[in-house]
Amino acid sequence: MIQLNHIMKTYGSHTALHGLDLSVPAGQIFGFIGPNGAGKTTTIKIIGGIMAPTAGTVHIAGIDMATDPVAAKQRIGFIPDRPYLYEKLTGMEFLQFTADVYGVSQDVFGDKAVSLLRMFALADWGEELIESYSHGMKQRLIMCAALLHDPEVLVVDEPMVGLDPVAIRMVKNLFRELAAKGITVFMSTHTLAVAEDICDRIGIIHRGRLIAEGTLDDLRRDIAGGAPDLEAVFINLTQSPAADLPGEKAAP
Amino acid sequence: MSGVLDLLKPRLWPIVHRRPNTATRAYVRLAIMTTVAGVLWIGIFMVSLRVLTHFNTIEEIGTLLNYKLLNMLMVTSLALLVFSDILTALSKLYLARDLPLVHALPVPAHRIFLARWMEIGFDGSWMVLAFTLPVFLAYGVVFEQGLTYGLVLVAVLLPFALLAAAISCLLVLLAVIVVPANRMKNIFILLGLLAFVGIYLAIRMARPEQLVDPEVFDSVMTYVASLQTPSSPWLPSTWAYHALQTALASEPARGLLDIGLLWSATGLFLFIGVGLADRMYFRGYSRTQAAGRKFRQRPFGTTRRRTRFTGPLRALLDKELKTFWRDQTQWSQIFLIMALVVIYVYNFKVLPLEKSPLPTVYLQNLLAFLNMGLALFVLTAVTARFAFPAVCSEREAFWVIKVSPISIRSFLWIKFGIYFLPLLVLTEGLIVITNTMLNVAPFMMWLSVLTVFAMVPGIVALGIGMGALNPNFRTENPAQAVTGFDGLLFMVFSTAFIGAVLALEAGPVYHYFLSQLRGRPLPTHWYLRTWASGLGVVLLCMAAAWIPMAMGQRRLERRSI
Repeated sequence: MIQLNHIMKTYGSHTALHGLDLSVPAGQIFGFIGPNGAGKTTTIKIIGGIMAPTAGTVHIAGIDMATDPVAAKQRIGFIPDRPYLYEKLTGMEFLQFTADVYGVSQDVFGDKAVSLLRMFALADWGEELIESYSHGMKQRLIMCAALLHDPEVLVVDEPMVGLDPVAIRMVKNLFRELAAKGITVFMSTHTLAVAEDICDRIGIIHRGRLIAEGTLDDLRRDIAGGAPDLEAVFINLTQSPAADLPGEKAAP
Repeated sequence: MSGVLDLLKPRLWPIVHRRPNTATRAYVRLAIMTTVAGVLWIGIFMVSLRVLTHFNTIEEIGTLLNYKLLNMLMVTSLALLVFSDILTALSKLYLARDLPLVHALPVPAHRIFLARWMEIGFDGSWMVLAFTLPVFLAYGVVFEQGLTYGLVLVAVLLPFALLAAAISCLLVLLAVIVVPANRMKNIFILLGLLAFVGIYLAIRMARPEQLVDPEVFDSVMTYVASLQTPSSPWLPSTWAYHALQTALASEPARGLLDIGLLWSATGLFLFIGVGLADRMYFRGYSRTQAAGRKFRQRPFGTTRRRTRFTGPLRALLDKELKTFWRDQTQWSQIFLIMALVVIYVYNFKVLPLEKSPLPTVYLQNLLAFLNMGLALFVLTAVTARFAFPAVCSEREAFWVIKVSPISIRSFLWIKFGIYFLPLLVLTEGLIVITNTMLNVAPFMMWLSVLTVFAMVPGIVALGIGMGALNPNFRTENPAQAVTGFDGLLFMVFSTAFIGAVLALEAGPVYHYFLSQLRGRPLPTHWYLRTWASGLGVVLLCMAAAWIPMAMGQRRLERRSI
């Protein structure tokens, strides 16, 4: 469902991604973890079509992002880590805006928007201006908007930032339900416990290179010699001398 | 004091430690900006010199008139400084993005207040001072003053600016306890612009053009000179005026008391401000943050009124209209444009055509031709204010557009469409109303209407396309986008576009009217030249509409966020 072929991204003289190859099938929750500046957000932006790679191709549901970005983006629900929105619209108006942009019919929109707002505990705030929302409320509204057009792929950067424990549990359950329906979830996170809980496969990126990939059990067994949890795997991989590649700086 | 300077370091270090930008584009940008500012500055100096020299030659009242003007300049400067400083103070003290970080520091409120006062003093006054300086220098030249006058000027203008900032900070400090800063800013901008529009209309309706009539000029000037200007001894502008006037009269020692008053008043207001800051500043800041408000209580899930379009067009149109009308700062701009239109039309109403030695028909149509240029300049100004910042006004929510299934090309052309229609109606309205007032020939009416119809897309596209070249999505005020380098380029290109089209049309139109006046048919080769000019205009308009949009599209597509 998501296919990255030899993705490379450079910022001036600095290379943020070194030929990334990755494939995520339909119905899988893929966790993308790595230290700060490893290239997670750059990868997420390239998958979402916000940023063009310097080299390589991205295919979403078999559609090349470079040749037909509109069709590829139509299949994606994108949730960024920072919830910047149109502050002078109400929550409901933002959802209507999203529905119009993604071609969601009016017949479907009303009930769906109301049920999504209820699911994310925003029903009381639907008619308020977004400028009066808290960080977490904006994040929840973006999640509502991302699900409005029934995407085939959900691309999420740090999904749990700003959410309260109840919302975190709800989002984890929601991702599992979506995956069960065949939707692919590509998620970058620093919350390793969340990745352990819900991800079918985990990729670890360090200094622009995918240094490990597999199920949690694979990683614990093969990479970290039976380490107890993902945290141990992560530290083992990213702090080992072998992981220190000379002459590289953090990605912007 | 070192604590205050520490707070200014985030502002100063990027300037001090800045690496020089050696890119050719940066040099070109710097050269153009410096040239434009230099030309403007020299222009103000030359005009001031001319006016002051002229007044000085009027017997008996000349010097007095120049002093009156100086007094008016000081009162106006004080009003401008206080207005500008209040707006800057509301932003710097209560709304700036770095304030949560600054208030979390273990620093007493009065230090933050002091550091911000310095910033406000600089940010709020540098432009007023920079562009009134040539007028003050012209005074020095006309009154043949030297170094002493220069020193007095520095000793007066520095505390004048700092005092205006101290007064503004104190006013804001007190006002924010009653009304939160975000609302206060909107109210203040609206009131300020309404006052400006009122004064502007009043001055225009007073018909100042009568001053160029020699019969009226003498009596008016005598009247102005005899006016008892309301120069209250309590106003800082009076102290500043008196100090400068005595220096111009080669008696600087008589102005020392006024300079002392300016410095001591600055100290006094600052002392009061610092004293109150510890008690009131944090309270006001905290209140501003808690000023979230209920918008309206539409029953949840009920149907809303929508425009009749569908898809992305409706999405962007609805969003644009809603965000525009919910931003009160936009309303004041609408008032300003309405005043501009009223003045524009009024100017044509009071044109003394009958006094001209030229034939009235010739003059009417000549004016109608020039009127096209003027109306298109008005369009350029309105486009600069509204259409140019259209892309930038997406601000940090631009990611929503980037991830959505709308091509950047569609996004830009929809933006174009949103602004095109109202701007076309505005410009055509201006042209038709003023041409009707001038009672122009039908040919000229049609020529004007069609030319404007062909050019509006080009000017709006220039605005949208050039606004998309380097939009600053992190700006706190997208309307200021036009004050940057790309905004300047937009004004230059738009002016060149208008000039080129009018130049192409001028020859054929002139010969057409000449042949009409003489009752002779237009020579054959002029028919060919007319067609060639027409073709040139069409091609130019198409290029103006297409090229900037294509450039903006390419830049936005490559732009990462």
